[in-house]
Amino acid sequence: MKEMRSPLATRAFEPEFLRKLDGLMIGTRRARTHRAGQRTIGRHQGGGIEPENFREYAHGDDLRFLDWNALARHDDLSIRTFRAERQLEITIMVDASASMAVPSDDDKLGLALTLGAGLAFIGMSENDLVRFVAFAGGRGASRLEATPFRSRRETYNHFRPFVSGLKAGGETRLATAAGELIENRRVPGMVIVISDFLVSASDYEEALGGLLGAHHEVKVLHVMGDRESTGNYPPGSYRVRDCETGELRDVTFGPTASEACRRRLAEHADGLRAFCTRRGIMYAPAFGASHLDETMTREFPRLGVMH
Amino acid sequence: MGLLTPLNLLYALSLVALVAIYLRARSRPTIEVSSLMLFEEIPAPVAKSRLLRLDALFWLEALALGAMSLAVAGLYVRSHQAVGPNHRHALVFDLGAGMGAVGENGITRLSTARQLALRIIAQAPAGDQFTVLGYALEAEATHAAGSQAPDARKALAALVPTAVAARPAALRAALIHARAADQIDLFADRPPPAALIDDAHVGGRLIFHKVGAPASNMAIVSLDGGVPRSSVGRCVVRNFTDRPQVCELVIEAAGREVFHSKLVAEPRAEIVVPFGPLSAGGIVHARIATPDALAADNQRWALAPSIAHQHALVLSPDAAVRDDLARVVLAINRNFLVTAADPARPDSFDHARRYDLAVIHDSAETGVNAAARLLIFPPPLSRSHGVLVPATHSVAIAELQERAGAGILSAPVLLGAARVIEPPAWMEPMARGVGVREHDSFPLAAIGSHNGDAVGVLAFDVRDHLLLDPDRMDALVLTIDLLQRLLAPRDVMIEPTGTFVTVAAGAHARVTAPDGSMRPLEADPWGRVRFRALESGRYLVTSNGPATAVYANYFDAGESDLSAPVPATERPAPSVATAGPSQLSVRPIALPLVILALLALIGESIMLAQRAVRWRAAHV
Repeated sequence: MKEMRSPLATRAFEPEFLRKLDGLMIGTRRARTHRAGQRTIGRHQGGGIEPENFREYAHGDDLRFLDWNALARHDDLSIRTFRAERQLEITIMVDASASMAVPSDDDKLGLALTLGAGLAFIGMSENDLVRFVAFAGGRGASRLEATPFRSRRETYNHFRPFVSGLKAGGETRLATAAGELIENRRVPGMVIVISDFLVSASDYEEALGGLLGAHHEVKVLHVMGDRESTGNYPPGSYRVRDCETGELRDVTFGPTASEACRRRLAEHADGLRAFCTRRGIMYAPAFGASHLDETMTREFPRLGVMH
Repeated sequence: MGLLTPLNLLYALSLVALVAIYLRARSRPTIEVSSLMLFEEIPAPVAKSRLLRLDALFWLEALALGAMSLAVAGLYVRSHQAVGPNHRHALVFDLGAGMGAVGENGITRLSTARQLALRIIAQAPAGDQFTVLGYALEAEATHAAGSQAPDARKALAALVPTAVAARPAALRAALIHARAADQIDLFADRPPPAALIDDAHVGGRLIFHKVGAPASNMAIVSLDGGVPRSSVGRCVVRNFTDRPQVCELVIEAAGREVFHSKLVAEPRAEIVVPFGPLSAGGIVHARIATPDALAADNQRWALAPSIAHQHALVLSPDAAVRDDLARVVLAINRNFLVTAADPARPDSFDHARRYDLAVIHDSAETGVNAAARLLIFPPPLSRSHGVLVPATHSVAIAELQERAGAGILSAPVLLGAARVIEPPAWMEPMARGVGVREHDSFPLAAIGSHNGDAVGVLAFDVRDHLLLDPDRMDALVLTIDLLQRLLAPRDVMIEPTGTFVTVAAGAHARVTAPDGSMRPLEADPWGRVRFRALESGRYLVTSNGPATAVYANYFDAGESDLSAPVPATERPAPSVATAGPSQLSVRPIALPLVILALLALIGESIMLAQRAVRWRAAHV
């Protein structure tokens, strides 16, 4: 099994790259505020410092939020409401399996980490809690590496050691990784899965379905390399070896084989997109590291990134 | 098809290297991919066939290497090519006696060959060049190369058969002379030996035209006039056909018939016809009056010795030699009165007499007056009647190797001691020999005419009864030939056809051939003219002095046999059809092979360039 570091990932910490992300925020279907006394998805129920509104007291309201001044002046029972604290947890799951390093000149892992870092930076600008989780399959078990949650931009650079030092290796065990993530019993939040999804449909369906079942808001960023997406391999007869399983197959590259390769990738991506659409998962493709800026401009809005 | 230098075919081993390179290239390289789900596997049967179906680049490279290897190895093709314009033809004719044989249609074999040649000339494109060659005793170009058809027709018309047997060496020389031609047409009445064709290296271009059908022929093999008034003469007649033949034989002597009778000859048998004894010496002429296919061997001449008593003197210091030489002289003409004397006793013979023949053995000038003299084993610086035959040194044992009339002997005859003589220019050698363990040959016998006297010399010693030794018969034959030529009349000569005849003549000599044609002859400084008698019959040499008649006899057992099959020991040369002028030629195809290799390489370059464009590669 091959392990590689990503040279592209270092770009995620360049000021010029980060300047492009200023003013962006990640949209979420869940409200960032919660009302006191009601179930919220926030970690701190009723907490907050920013007043939002007043309403009449109802039975069962917490008397701690009763506006005593209004009662004293007007003898009116009213309850003060506050905007909830930002408690959205954003988990960026990055596929660190061996397939992300192949073909080597495609640098899929670097593309995934750069995009993930960009999303993390956007999330941190809203003081959301952001963490990276890298998953890959080791010998007989899943390898899940996670960073601590960080919520402020000032701490963005703390992700640098993780992003720069992450190595690709092992098998893609997406369902296993998702299962381990769910077992951590974190509060529901946003999970952005960045992978080439070169697994069986049942595997990613199980993984993404499991995350949805744990009430996470799931977004999918489908990463592929330039050569992979075009099928542009040097012509000739080769014996190809799956970098994760070691399985061999005799293939003769040529115009026909390239066309077949593109066709199979399109079918695979369409299947993933269709699944995501059915399950309300935001799907965005990111094919080719050379199109990084274009991908961020065009595909990030599909993930709910907005100004 | 063949190879000029097969060893260079080793360059074809480069094909092995090419195959090895391609096999190595065809071992599929392994590349790593992110997942096999993006790649379709090629079905197994197709994959197997791909192992054998190499791409076009391989075949082009193999073609280039193979073509270059064959070009270096000198691949050639052997093919019949139609004779095109400006080709060179060589028309080679057998001019032996057999070609003069007349067939049932009344024309000679040479005429038939001439008609075939004329047909070839007529069918040849304009601009073709012709060489006309004839051979019998030797090859002779009757028409030079590079001549056009009209000149060749004239040369064909000038061809005449000779009364000699065609020699294989002459045929070989003619073929070698014709080797520069693109097509060689050989016209003969019998196929040439295959070994001879191989030697001349013309096998691919030679077309043999066999002319003449088997024909019956009778020939006079030999004629001996006998000794007049003493012994009968004999004439031998041979039938060369496979059935009995009737011939009418006429023998004349001194202008009147001595024999005239019809004979019946058994198939392939000889008849010995005795006649005489003649009443007088002189010319004896035998002829077959019955016409047959070949006329050249139907007549023969012989010379009967004179009936007049002649005086011969034998001088030798050895009594046994005197006795032997006297026997030999009497064997030639028993009318001789032989006086044997010892040179140490000058009073033992008559010095005043002019002898008809003097045989002087190992003795110096003794003042003998003779019309003809034979010097045997002459001492150094011996002077005989003013004739100097210098002897430089002696050899203990000499070998007789070559004799006139017999050519080079199959086995040298071991003689006794000999003196190395230097015959003067007016003498012609009759035999040559060599000293044992020496390399340079020297004359052993010579004959010439000096001041009207005939002089002969034998360089070897005849002691110890050399002339009577049956194992050394060639020495006796040589001595008899020399004596007969010394005793022959000055105005009559009888020679076999094909030999050079030397006749004493003055200025403005000319010779009249048997067919009546005349031609001038130029005498040498010693007053001799030489010509070669190629027809059988009577030649007459005239000059300011008396005329000399030369009778040329022809007989050759092989040539006169007009129905002779091909000898079993000789493989006949392949006969090529006479119809349609074509030739078998060897044509190297190195240039087409090189062009093929270049085309293959150009094709490969084009394919590589196309692939580079298709795959957007900066290099191939």
